[in-house]
Amino acid sequence: MKRGLIIWNRTELPISVFDARLAKARSALAEHDLPALLIYSDVWRSNEGRHLTNYMPYWNRSLIVLPREQAPVLLCGLSPRVYPWIKSVTVFEEIRPASKLVPTLLQLCSERGWTKLGVLDLPRLPHEISLPLQASDVRTSDVKLDLTDDAEMAMLRRAEQMAREILAAELPNGAGLTDYQFAGRLERAFRRAGAEDLVLLFRTGNAAPRPAHGAMLGDKYSVAVALEYRGHWARVMQGLPL
Amino acid sequence: MAERGWDSILLYGNAWRKDPFRSLVNFNFSGDHALARLSRSGEIHVTFSDPWDSEIARAKLEPDFVKAFAGGASAIAGLDFMEERFVEACGALPASATADVEELRRVKTAEEIGYIKQACDLADRGYQRFAEVAEHGMREFELVAEVEGFLKENGAEDNFMLIASGGTEVVGMKPPTDRKLQKGDSITTELTPQVNGYYAQICRTLVLGEPSPGQLQSFAIFSEAQQAAEDLIKPGITAAAAARAQNDVFRKYGYGDYTGSKYTRVRGHCLGLYPDETPHILEDVDYVLKQDMVVIAHPNTYLPLSGYMVFGDTLLITDSGNTRLNKTAKKLFIK
Repeated sequence: MKRGLIIWNRTELPISVFDARLAKARSALAEHDLPALLIYSDVWRSNEGRHLTNYMPYWNRSLIVLPREQAPVLLCGLSPRVYPWIKSVTVFEEIRPASKLVPTLLQLCSERGWTKLGVLDLPRLPHEISLPLQASDVRTSDVKLDLTDDAEMAMLRRAEQMAREILAAELPNGAGLTDYQFAGRLERAFRRAGAEDLVLLFRTGNAAPRPAHGAMLGDKYSVAVALEYRGHWARVMQGLPL
Repeated sequence: MAERGWDSILLYGNAWRKDPFRSLVNFNFSGDHALARLSRSGEIHVTFSDPWDSEIARAKLEPDFVKAFAGGASAIAGLDFMEERFVEACGALPASATADVEELRRVKTAEEIGYIKQACDLADRGYQRFAEVAEHGMREFELVAEVEGFLKENGAEDNFMLIASGGTEVVGMKPPTDRKLQKGDSITTELTPQVNGYYAQICRTLVLGEPSPGQLQSFAIFSEAQQAAEDLIKPGITAAAAARAQNDVFRKYGYGDYTGSKYTRVRGHCLGLYPDETPHILEDVDYVLKQDMVVIAHPNTYLPLSGYMVFGDTLLITDSGNTRLNKTAKKLFIK
C-alpha cells in the first residue's frame, strides 16, 4: 500500500509536462469525436491517471474524467477532508465526492450533455464499474494512449538509479540476516529516500524470488526491488556478491 | 455451494485485493493476478500470472491471464473488482460469490485468530517504536520509514498506515508529507500490520510536548467513546449499536455534529485478510456481530478542540463479550 512520501515536485515535473500530456489525450478524443475520456484509478492501477494528472489514490478507487474542452474532474472515493491535499499534489481543481462512482459519473455526463465517453483501456475496467456503465445510456469506446514521453523516461531513469544505488549500498549488509531483517533495513533506506511504494523479493539458492518469509541470507543471495518513485515504477534485481 | 446450487466457484485476487484468493489459498503471491477454482467435490486448481509465484507454489502459470477464466464457473468471489475482459472470458456471466465468501470469512477460526493476535502484538510493538522515534524536527515520511522498517524486520508482510501531524487545522489522516513535527503537534496514526495474511490495527494519538487543555479534553471524549463500544460489543449486538454507543458520547458533550461523514468515515470495521473488512461500524449498518469476529472500534474524527484525533483497538468477540487484543496503554501519548 502507498504510505511513502507523495508529493508533486514541480521542478521534476513542471505543469507544462501535464499540459502536454492532457493535450495529447484531448487530440485522441478529437480524433475519435469523443467529448471526454474516462480513466479508472485505484491503489494498484494508478499509473495512467498519475501520468495524466499526478493523482495517486493511496487508498480506495477513483474515476478521472478528462473533458475535451474543459478542465479534468476527479470523481473521488476518498473523503472530502483530503481534497485540499489532493489538489496540492495534482492538476485537479474540481473534485467530486463519489462513494458510488458510476452514478456520480452519469450525473456528470448528464450535466455536460455527454452521450458517449472514451475509456482508457476499456476491457480492463472493473466489472462493477463496467456493468452499470454499459447498462446506461452513455455509449463507451476503447481508447489507447501512448503514455511515454521524455519526462516519463527521465523519471523512470531516476527511479531505476535510486533502486540501483540503494541496493548496491545495502546488499553487503544483508549477509547473515534473515530476509525479514534485511527487508526492514531496505524499507527504511528506500522510504527515507522518497519511495512511495516498494515490493521486495528475495532469492537464495536456485529458488524463484519470493517475499520475505524468515529465510537466512547467506553470502550469496539476490534481491528484486520494484520501486515506485513519484508514480514511476522501476524494477531492479541485484545479487551478492556484487 | 450446495445451498446456492453452484458447481464451481472462482476466488480471484489481484495485487490490491488478494483477499478473496487468500481466503482459500493463503499464499502471498507477488504477481498481478491469482485465481483458485474450487469444485463442489472439493478439488482446488490454482493459476498465477507470474512465473515466480507459479514456481514457488508449484501451480499453473498463465501469463495471458484471460485464459485462466476459460470455462467460467457458477460464481466468483472478487467478481466486482475483476477486469471486464476476465468476466467476458467466463462466457455466461457468473453470479457474485463475494458477499457469501465475505460472510464466511467474518467468523474466524482458531488458527486465524492466532495470526491476528500475532499481528496485534506487532502493531503494539510498532506503535511503541513510533512513540520512541517521533521527535521535534523529524519529517512525517521519515517517521513512517522507521516504523515501516521496524514492522517489516519483525515479519509484517504488509502494513496499512496513515498519519497526520499538527493542530486544529488537521481534518484527517493521509500518506506522510515532508512536514516537520513540531512542539504541540497531535501526531495521529493508524498502524495495520499484516501477519500471514491477516491484519490487525491500532490507532493512537501522541502529543509532542505539553498537551493543550483542548487536546486533553478531546482525548477524554475519544477514550470514553471507545470504551463505550468496548463495553458493549458482544454477540448479538449490531454494528449500528456499536457506532451509536460511540457517537452518543460525542453528542453528550455537544460534539454530535462531528460524528457524520463530513468529519469522519467509520466508527470501526472488521479485520481479517483485508484491513477494512465489512461490516463497517456505522449507525445505519444493522449487521449482527457474532462470536469470533474481529473488529476495531475507533471513534476517529475531527474535533475543534484538538483537530483530527484517533484512538482504537482490535477486539475479538467472545461468547459473552470481547477481548481487547492490543496491549498498548489506552492513553494519550505525550513526549
